[in-house]
Amino acid sequence: MEPSERERLLELLESNRVTPATRRVLLERLNAKYQRKFFSESQLEKLQAVALRLVPHDPLELDLVGPIDERLARGDSKGWRYADLPLEANPYAGLLEAFPNDFLQLEGDAQDSVLEGIQKKFPRAFEDLLAELVEIYYAHPLIQVRIGYYGFADAQGWTL
Amino acid sequence: MTTKFDAVVVGTGAGGAPLLSRLVRAGLKVLALEAGPIHPLSEMATDERTQEKLFWKDERLSSGRDPIGFGRNNSGIGVGGSTLHYTAYVPRVQPDDLKLRTEFGVGQDWPLEYADLESYYEELEHFLGISGPQHYPWGPPRRSSYRHAALPLNAAAKAMQRGCEVMGIRTSSAPNAALSAPQEQEGFGTRHACTNRGFCQAGCSVSAKASVDVTFLPLAQKYGAEIRPNSFVTRFVLEQGRIVGLEYVRNGILEQVSTDTLFLCAGAIETPRLLLMQNLANSSGQVGRNFMAHVGTQVWGRFDAETQPFMGIPGGLISEDTHRVDGLVGGYLLQSIGGMPVTYASQYARGTGTWGVKLLEHMKGYIHTAGINILGEGLPYEGNFLELSSELDARGLPKPKIHYSNGENEQKMHTHAEKLMRDIWTAAGATGLWTFPRAAHTLGTARMGDDPHSSVIDRDGKSHDVENLYICDNSMFPSSLSVNPALTQMALSLRVADQFLEGQG
Repeated sequence: MEPSERERLLELLESNRVTPATRRVLLERLNAKYQRKFFSESQLEKLQAVALRLVPHDPLELDLVGPIDERLARGDSKGWRYADLPLEANPYAGLLEAFPNDFLQLEGDAQDSVLEGIQKKFPRAFEDLLAELVEIYYAHPLIQVRIGYYGFADAQGWTL
Repeated sequence: MTTKFDAVVVGTGAGGAPLLSRLVRAGLKVLALEAGPIHPLSEMATDERTQEKLFWKDERLSSGRDPIGFGRNNSGIGVGGSTLHYTAYVPRVQPDDLKLRTEFGVGQDWPLEYADLESYYEELEHFLGISGPQHYPWGPPRRSSYRHAALPLNAAAKAMQRGCEVMGIRTSSAPNAALSAPQEQEGFGTRHACTNRGFCQAGCSVSAKASVDVTFLPLAQKYGAEIRPNSFVTRFVLEQGRIVGLEYVRNGILEQVSTDTLFLCAGAIETPRLLLMQNLANSSGQVGRNFMAHVGTQVWGRFDAETQPFMGIPGGLISEDTHRVDGLVGGYLLQSIGGMPVTYASQYARGTGTWGVKLLEHMKGYIHTAGINILGEGLPYEGNFLELSSELDARGLPKPKIHYSNGENEQKMHTHAEKLMRDIWTAAGATGLWTFPRAAHTLGTARMGDDPHSSVIDRDGKSHDVENLYICDNSMFPSSLSVNPALTQMALSLRVADQFLEGQG
């Protein structure tokens, strides 16, 4: 049987082509499981639905919202905030409240229309959320190899 | 207060580290306090999210018409400061940039001449082990050549070379502070040659890049300097107008240290923040004022051939042909850049607002992308400044609030450069161009000058008000200069130390 994409990635990560520091963090990320710590259940559900439209992905394969929940539980900042956004433990609370209550029941296209409206109405909070989801997604090694990125195989460097 | 030092240095980046090594070699008993931890080379992962540990994450508030993003854009924390993630482009300043007001009637002149910096540039280019071209086409004639041969060009650099050739713009391999050949570094050992790992902006793991943690700091330690990591300065202790010591929090415990002289090298945000908290050294009212950033517009495009934008040093090719442009105050550099995947995707999302399937489609072309950017003069304006906000951080200290709006010159420069870079990229064969407007670096919040009414420190870095306080970091820049600031910052740091030592007799 052909090794799966995940098996091939694991083989690479465990090889001497990857430095120990890089291997450690990528294996951790590959196997990460998140328990809800910060968001309410309904916030988490809504955020997961939003994340599916903003950065389409398989939630069984990777959890985009878990790392946000964990960051906010730790109280970490990205280092700055637009001064006109309020100081809140949950910077996405206002944004999530702006979604209609039936957002989860809408079809994908209808959800996208709602998102377009929210992007126009709350450009900065929307941008922050989008960027955070995008960063989590493209930091995942399975996603990285799918776009042809192998930079984490860092032990020997590259010949130009 | 227990131990007394001849000098305490706050901050271990490009401003603090060189002078630390100078002071200790002159026989002074010195201590450096660093807010962040040690980042060992063996823990530098090739992973952008992990390497966010190199950025200052305490919240800063961004205000104005063009609020500046901090964090990963332009901050640093830990032993080595932001040299840990600088791109390592290290061109010298051109002399006319130091006299912007004389030339244009706006901006600010430096109280220094090129001749004051030249010998320091030479010393640094040798000591850091700068790789560069045999003949650098811009600036005054050089008395010495670069120590190491130029580094190999990545795909973006080669594309810029092609595009510029079509356009009649001269280019050169850039001076870059990463080694193209191994080098012995006093106090550190052997630094290895660059492996083209491409993560300069997220921390070098092989010691090729001349961050100060593998250069000036080990040198200083060899001669007896003490570096205390995880030590966050919260207050200056004064007696009769002189600084006699400092309070800092180390691993949650408030400690004190006493000193004869203080060198404040905490960067253009934390330095004015600390001073403003006690309204110290501010008889001019200029602490926190004149906040500047470089115009840093990027243009990205897609090429038919694979570019692998994460391979090779991002700081490869340069042109200073746009050093002066009709209609602009000052000018800019053109530089090729690299692209790490997370930063690239995040910028694309923020810059274009694209999401959903369209975003994923775009990112399928990631290994075909390449970018080019500028670094251009940003002028000081009345309305661009740092103040203390009423919001407190977890330590109970006021968060800094930074007001920033581009002026007419910055907008004109952005427009001019965007068109030129789009033309270059089109000539090089790129399609699907997109622009990311950006401001880079933090500069100018405690500027030097001869007039105590309009500046915070004198030409030697000494406070006009407090006789044993020196400031040496990018807050001291009177104008932003159209070059990457790290090399000039290190030159200033060596000069501040030498002038201080000379004054000690």
